Order: sequence, then structure tokens, then C-alpha cells
Amino acid sequence: MMWLAWRQHRKQALFTLVGLAVLAGVMIPTGLAVRGTFADLGLADCVQQQNTETKDCGRAFNDFHNQYDTLLLVGILFLVLPLLVGLFWGAPLVAREVEQGTHRFVWTQGVSRTRWAVVKFGFVGATTLAAAVVYGLGMSWWLGPLVAGGGRSRFEVLFFDMQGVAPVGYTLFAVALGVFAGTVWTRMLPAMAGTLGGFAVVRIVLTAVARPHYLPAREHTYPLVSAAGFDGGAPRDAWALSDGVRDANGTMVGPGVQVFCPPGSNGPNGGPCGGEFGEGAYNWLLYQPADRYWLFQGIETGIFVALAALLLYLAVRRVRRIA
Amino acid sequence: MRGSGMELVLEADALGKRYGSSWALRDCALRLPAGRVAALVGPNGAGKSTLLHLAVGLLRPDAGAVRVFDQAPYGNTKLLAEIGFVAQDTPLYRDLTAEELVTLGGKLNRRWDAALVRHRLAQLGIPPGKPVGTLSGGQRAQVALALALAKRPRLLLLLDEPVASLDPLARREFMQSLMGSVAESGTTVLLSSHILGDLERVCDYLIVLHSAEVKLAGPVEDLLDGHRQLMGPRTADDRSIAGVAAVVRASHTDRQSTLLVRTDGDPIDPSWTVRDVDLEDLILAYLTDGGPTRASHEEWGVPA
Amino acid sequence: MIEFVLDSRSKVNTYVQLVQQVKQALRVGLLVPGDQLPKVRDVAQSLAINPNTVLKAYRELEIEGLAEGRPGVGTFVTATLARGALADQAELRAELVDWVRRAQAAGLTAEDVTALVATTMRATFPASLKEESA
Repeated sequence: MMWLAWRQHRKQALFTLVGLAVLAGVMIPTGLAVRGTFADLGLADCVQQQNTETKDCGRAFNDFHNQYDTLLLVGILFLVLPLLVGLFWGAPLVAREVEQGTHRFVWTQGVSRTRWAVVKFGFVGATTLAAAVVYGLGMSWWLGPLVAGGGRSRFEVLFFDMQGVAPVGYTLFAVALGVFAGTVWTRMLPAMAGTLGGFAVVRIVLTAVARPHYLPAREHTYPLVSAAGFDGGAPRDAWALSDGVRDANGTMVGPGVQVFCPPGSNGPNGGPCGGEFGEGAYNWLLYQPADRYWLFQGIETGIFVALAALLLYLAVRRVRRIA
Repeated sequence: MRGSGMELVLEADALGKRYGSSWALRDCALRLPAGRVAALVGPNGAGKSTLLHLAVGLLRPDAGAVRVFDQAPYGNTKLLAEIGFVAQDTPLYRDLTAEELVTLGGKLNRRWDAALVRHRLAQLGIPPGKPVGTLSGGQRAQVALALALAKRPRLLLLLDEPVASLDPLARREFMQSLMGSVAESGTTVLLSSHILGDLERVCDYLIVLHSAEVKLAGPVEDLLDGHRQLMGPRTADDRSIAGVAAVVRASHTDRQSTLLVRTDGDPIDPSWTVRDVDLEDLILAYLTDGGPTRASHEEWGVPA
Repeated sequence: MIEFVLDSRSKVNTYVQLVQQVKQALRVGLLVPGDQLPKVRDVAQSLAINPNTVLKAYRELEIEGLAEGRPGVGTFVTATLARGALADQAELRAELVDWVRRAQAAGLTAEDVTALVATTMRATFPASLKEESA
């Protein structure tokens, strides 16, 4: 059975390997260049101190931003890689067999369908896992200085999704979804379309609705007028979920607005700074703290791996009903 | 050489399979004795593939039971070793070579006669190193048959004319190697078809399936002995005739009636001209029992 | 060894065709006692027919005392149907030719002659003809 799995998928495995190699061929030189610039500009210190105000650091961030912001955008394209694996590894796994009728050949030999499914799914799953781990770690290495140098947090949506262990979860999920879709539609194109739709919906819904609530978010408040600094000591590298200005009663009066004033300065219309929000108004920030990054990565990955396991289980069951 | 006892290879009792709300096979009862070459005949959609898929365990019955060598086939891997199956259009992994398929069969089956299949394929002149997708339809069918026989099965199921799409020469070659190996191994064969064609020479057992139901089943000789064609003056359909157990099909002109009947063994009423039937008459008689012709006349807006 | 040929348009049962061919071969001396008949497998394969049909034909020949099955070896001819020396046949044929010429001279057409021969045969060989056409 292992022989068949290898014989059937060795081409795909080879393509994946070549794909990874090409990716590495692009990422390693650019990654090294980024790291070089990052070090030359002395950004490591700036990032550590969260110092955007000194002239040197400000210029360094600016230079870095100008040079590599496009690259960061290109990096976002990699978000679709797990989906591609799901489409081209997962969806054809059962659908192609049924479409070509070969399931009637292989399922009437001396090997049970369950065993067939477990070995095939296992082979594809293991290969995917290996590729995804390499990819996830590589992305973390590549993306680290880009995100930090861009003045962003790796906890932010998109950057969170591109690195660490989360891509492993996404990829396994995409493959499992593809396999499952193949047992539902048993034709390649509908199975691939189903995978595409299902993956997009689950990813978007989980990112938008569930992820902010994996743990209760924290609140941070600070006065409008303060000498403490540019952002009044807001938490570093955190994932900001929501912010605004609230009045003395706690009612949101300026959604999405943050007001920073050095003591004694005036607002745009000449009145006291932030005066339009009334006496006692304060800045409010809802966030997930930076130290929860790996915890959240773990939770996110866990959810997707669990979903993948569930889908594969359902797929094995469905395989027993296809004729 | 060939078993003539009453050992049953395939049994079905009240067997049924449903897709959604419509029955693909209903209330099917069958007994296929060992050593037979049986033809499963019926039009497309009559339930032939469903019956064979139930027999090879690809499908699970929704009603009744099917037993092969006295075991339920669904999910029964051990039983699969006893059944050779050639599915419709002889599906094979098209990018694997014949050689690789032989290796594959060895990996997937506990009992596997690689020498036999190599010998057969060599005799047929099948190239071992070419992907089977590049072979002709006839060669592919031969590879599929050789692979099925390499299991040394006690029951061979061939679905929906694995050879229907082949040219006459390839079809004959396929039937030749099938009959040759049946003679050698004594395997019981059940092959389904929507046309009788040259199966007449090949089969000694007949199962007629129509609209999800078994209309007729039995050894060909008994069936031919048990049916006659009668011709005589016009009679009413419900008149009973001496020696006739049932009228299978009747057609009338204004003066004459032609009946295909099942006899009950007694001499037939001498006022009728009696003729023997051949297999084709018999099958056609059982396949054309009314049908929805009137409805379609109305649908087309023409007089019936 | 002989090779079987089937007439695909004939309505005669396949096994009967096989029996008739063996008998014909015995009649013309193509097969003599001791000869082996083709193996069941080879006949089934070359004609693409059910091996049971071949077995049935051979059983029929055994019942008629013309052949004998030896387990594990094959089926062998044990008797012959060839009658009269070939010289006799030539003489009979010459006489028949004379007779046909006379019939022709008497104004009989070919069909008339055939009909006359058939009715005469039926009257003279009732038993054997029945067997041949069974």
C-alpha cells in the first residue's frame, strides 16, 4: 500500500520539493539582504527600545520602510500557499480516483478501504506536515526583521498568519478539507471549488470572529495629555483590537481616535487639547498582549489541526460509502 | 475439472439498493451455482452494476442480503481475495506501466500469481514498460482481466461489458482468453452486458434484469426447454392454454396471436403451432413487458 | 489432431456442431481410433466458447461410444465411422452419375431430382436421418 502511495504521489512530492527549493532560492538571498540592512541601520536597538522618536531611529525606520515595504506586501501573497497545497494535494486524492474509476480497481484488491484511506491520507498528511514546518519556520526567519523594521507587530492579522506554527495548521486543514471535499463531490473541479470556498470562509471567520477572543482581551487607558511619551506607554508589540476616546462616563465618543498631547499644547481649533471630548475623557485601547503570541499561535494551530483531524475522520468514513 | 455440484457461489435474498428515493435494485433473489459462466443481461440502468457492486462489496445493501461463498461481501477484505473484479471501462492507473501494475497487485494481495499474469501478458504481446494509458483499449482490457485472474479468484465478476467498447477483433481476443482461463481454473464467472451478442456461446446461465428487478434466472438449457413460441388464431390474453404455465409476451394481429410462453411440462394444446425459442427471443420477451410508451406518445402530442 | 470451426449463422446448437464435426472427421478418415481430440481448454479458447459446451460435446461422443476420456490426459477416439473402401465409393458415384443423367433425359429439373432423392432417403434410412438432424 505504501508502495502505491509513493508511486502515485512521488511526482507531487517532487513538485513540492522543487517548489520549496525555488521558494528558498528567493527567500534566503532576500532574507539575508533584509537582515543586513536591518543590522546596518542599527534597527535592532531601535526596536528594542521602541524608539521612534530619536532622529536616527526615525530615519532608519523610514529608510527601511522605503526599501522593503513592497517586499512585505509580496510576502502576503504567501498566505495562499496552504490553500494551493489543499487544492492540488488534497482535493484530487479521492476525487481523481473516483473520476477515473480506479477506486473500483484498488478497493477490490486485498486491502481494505479503511487501510487504503489511512495510508494515503497518512502519506499525504506527513509530507504536507514536513513541508509546512519547513515553510513556517523559514517564514518566521524571513519575516522577523521585515515586520519589526516596518514598525509592525508579528501579532497583527496577516503577519500572525504567515509565520510560526499557524501555517502548519492551515496547510494540514487545507489538505484535509480537500480530501473531504473529494469524498463529497467525487469530481476534481467541484472538489477544488469546494476546498477553495470552504478554506476562505473558515479562515476569514476564525480570524475575524474567533481569534480576538481566544483569551479575554486586556484594556489599557491613558490620559489625553501626558508627558509620558508619544503613545502614553501603550503595550509594545501587542495586537490592538480596538481603540478610541471615551468620556468620563466611559461612553465611546471618538471611535478609532487616539489623542496625544504634550502638556500645555492646544488642539487644532485653539481650545485645550482633546477638549471636544469633554472633561475627563481618556484614551482607551483593547488589545492582546505581546507575550500571548505563542499561546495564540498554539491555539490557532490546535484548532486547525483538530478541524483537519475531524475532516480526515469524516473522509475515511465517507470513503467506505463510495461505490 | 469443473465443479458440477450444487455449491452456491452467489446468493441474494430480497436484496435491495436505493439511491435517494428510487430503488436501483429491488427484492432481488438469486442463486448462482459454482462452475457456471453466467450472463447478467438487461438494458442500461436496469441495476446490473448495482448488483455486481453489491457482490464485490463496494456497496452495502439497503434491504435483504447478498452472500458470496456464504459471506457478506461489504467490508470483507478476506472475501475480496476470492473475487476477481473487472469494473466498467476496465479502469487502471493510466500512468503506471503493466509491469508496475503487476507489482502493485502483488503488494495489495496476499494470494497473487505474478508468474501467471506475466505469462499471459507476454503471450498477448503487451509491452511491460509502457504506461497502460498509452495502450489500446483492447490491450488495457486484457491487462485488467489478467490482473483480476492473477488473484486466482473462485468468482470472477466482469462489469458492463468490459469489452463492449472494443473492436470485434479485440473483443474476440478478450473472450478467447477469458474462456481459456475459465477452462483452466474452473472459476465461476458472472458477466454483465446490455446486449447478448456472442455471449450466447459463452454463457450457460442467464439472469435477466429489468427495471431493478430480476425477471428471469436459470441455466440456459432449462430456460430454453421451459419456453415455447405459440402461433394460432387470435385469442384473448387471459384464456388459459393446456401445457402453458404463463404467457410471457403476447402479440396479436386481427386474426392471429403469437405468444411466448413458459410451459408447465404437459403437452401443449395441439391447436397451436409450437416452435422452440432461442436465447434472444427469450431475453427480448422478458425485457419488453409494457413500459411507458403510452405516456411518451402523449408527451409528444402524437396518437399512440 | 483436428481443429473445430463454428458456423456462426447456424441455428444448430454449438455442442451439436462440435459432435457433428468429429463424426464428419471420423467418416472421412481424418480421425482414427487412438487419436486425441483437442483439449477442452484449447477449444474453449480458440472458439471463445464456454468450456462446459466442449465437455458436453465430448460426453455425447463418449455416450455414443466414439471417444473415451482419460482423466488428466485428454479425450481419445475409440471407434470409427468410415464405411466401405474408397474404391467402392468411386463406383457408387459413377452409378449415381448415370442415374442422374437418365433423370435429366426424362425431363426432371435439378430440384425435382433433389426432392426425389430426399423422399427416397427418408423412406430407406428413417432412423439414421433423424439422428443426424437432431
